Amino acid sequence: MINKTFVISVMSKDRPGIIADIATVIYGLGGDLADLNQSVLGGYFTMILIAEFDKKVSKKILMDEFGAIESETTIEAIVKEIDLDSEVLVQILPAETYILTAQGDNRKGLVKVLGDFFFKRNINVLDLVTTKLNERYTMIFQVDLTEVASMKVLREELDLLAKFETLEVVLQHNDIYMATNEVGMSLDVSIRNK
Amino acid sequence: MLRSEQIMATVEMVQKENLDVRTVTMGINLLDCRKGTAAETCKCVEEKITEYAENFVDTCEEVAVKYGIPVINKRISVTPAALVGAGFTKEEFILLAQGLDNSAKKVGVDILGGFTAHVEKGMTKSDRNFIDSLPQALAVTSRLCASINVGSSHKGINMDAVALVGKTVKDLAEQTAESGGFGAAKFVVFCNQPGDNPFMAGAIHGVEEADVVLNVGVSGPGVIARSLERTINRVGRENLKLDDIAEEIKQITFRVTRCGELIGRQVSKELGVEFGVVDLSLAPTPKIGDSVGEILQIIGVDDVGAPGSTAIVALLNDAVKKGGIFASKAVGGLSGAFIPVMEDAVLAEAVEKGALTIEKLEAMTCVCSVGLDMVPIPGDVDAGTISAIIADEMAIGMINNKTTAVRLIPVPGKKAGEIVSFGGLFGKSPIMEVRNVNKSGRFIAWGGRIPAPIHSFKN
Repeated sequence: MINKTFVISVMSKDRPGIIADIATVIYGLGGDLADLNQSVLGGYFTMILIAEFDKKVSKKILMDEFGAIESETTIEAIVKEIDLDSEVLVQILPAETYILTAQGDNRKGLVKVLGDFFFKRNINVLDLVTTKLNERYTMIFQVDLTEVASMKVLREELDLLAKFETLEVVLQHNDIYMATNEVGMSLDVSIRNK
Repeated sequence: MLRSEQIMATVEMVQKENLDVRTVTMGINLLDCRKGTAAETCKCVEEKITEYAENFVDTCEEVAVKYGIPVINKRISVTPAALVGAGFTKEEFILLAQGLDNSAKKVGVDILGGFTAHVEKGMTKSDRNFIDSLPQALAVTSRLCASINVGSSHKGINMDAVALVGKTVKDLAEQTAESGGFGAAKFVVFCNQPGDNPFMAGAIHGVEEADVVLNVGVSGPGVIARSLERTINRVGRENLKLDDIAEEIKQITFRVTRCGELIGRQVSKELGVEFGVVDLSLAPTPKIGDSVGEILQIIGVDDVGAPGSTAIVALLNDAVKKGGIFASKAVGGLSGAFIPVMEDAVLAEAVEKGALTIEKLEAMTCVCSVGLDMVPIPGDVDAGTISAIIADEMAIGMINNKTTAVRLIPVPGKKAGEIVSFGGLFGKSPIMEVRNVNKSGRFIAWGGRIPAPIHSFKN
């Protein structure tokens, strides 16, 4: 039987037991979990996952099962069937993956400033985390710079942006963070394979 | 992606603590450059250095931009010149020195090390010619650094060489009197000199090494100083013990070492050259905030040289080694804390206050690398006393199975307390007082060898 792959996004006010509820539905329908990302933000639980099911499982069946979960909080789910072969599921970071951190006093439009900067230069954002602490805003972008022709020019442009927007911007290769934080990362193997 | 706090900790290290790679040093074997005449040998030396190092500086710059980590110094070390020029006259060694200096200029490196001889057990006629050539060779070149190994734990100390070198140090300073004796700042005397040290003035490319390798010296003491300050402020001094301090140094050294190795290996790959070692040494510069002395003050002595300084250096040196050795599978060189007086603003300040003496420096060198480094002394100190200071330091290295070195600068025409300044990375300091001068002549006059210690006989 040909299987189906679904991307499922779930949101609920946070409480103990949400993962158990969702996993019970997936297990009950014979689903096989693949990648999953979960976090809690502002008291709200969010999760996005990929799971594989038998052909007979449909989007409607899944939505009905999630809707039937007995809970004092509302669980909102979005289900989308995707055509994904298993090779695409393995995510390998591009060789030119960088981390850009930008910090400054909180104000509206800071993510947009960086988002526009990346878009104009064909830079893809792979991951983004932002935090606000005591009116200080921190953005951590993981970006793919494969399409960037000159690192020197990009750094000059970032310096100008940082000055204009009064932000502290640091751009480092992802390997620097991996090397300084991952005890088991073999540096020679890592560099040899790039 | 890594956790946000891990990323921000690394950002702090890069942005606020001035993380850098202190030096990337390309070691080049020159033994195959020996030809029938000195002129032909020099030509071959220049060709080989140019061939391998032509793109060295540019590649380091490109990798630094790519990773966002500055590479401060790009340097070259070569096979000890006394071996390359075996059989040369004094004049021919001077020619070789000029050839090496020209090569350094051509490829754009600021310093080239390896004008060196190893004479720990005995000297050939050629070795003596080499030593005779040193004052003039360093006076007529600008980028060349010289060194000599006069002792080892395995062979003992060659006291004939020590006596000769005391005079050489004086001659070097006098030949460059107009620059405050700067020639002596480019010459260092070793016991147990390593063949893979990337730091100057004592970098050489040992004969045991591959044809061409890259060695890396990791970031300076400023990173550790700022990290300790941050931890003390965050946790509170009253909640920390010395073992916590050692642990913090270990962890920051781990990160710094990994960074240095990453950059070094990338440069190696780009140039198609074998990667050698990471040297963990904390090498200060005269820049404010880049001082080993400052770390001692943060840990707890008001002035470097006060009682407790030696114990702190021991703690620091050991923690640096432990963090670095866990971080890298290729640690080598000197790998410890340097205490070069002129190159470390806090040490120079301690000299000015009278807190730091040569005797206390010597005690501190028992527990760290490397030795009496960049120590300016009065120009009228006699050669015998200089030789005796060298002999004392060599004895510490020989008995303790560690590298020790001496880089004394007898500043012509100046007395203790007067200031000498060489500018840039060589720094400035008040001239240190040498006590008990002219009292060691009979000891140095013996010559011969101090035999190797009993614990060196392990076969």
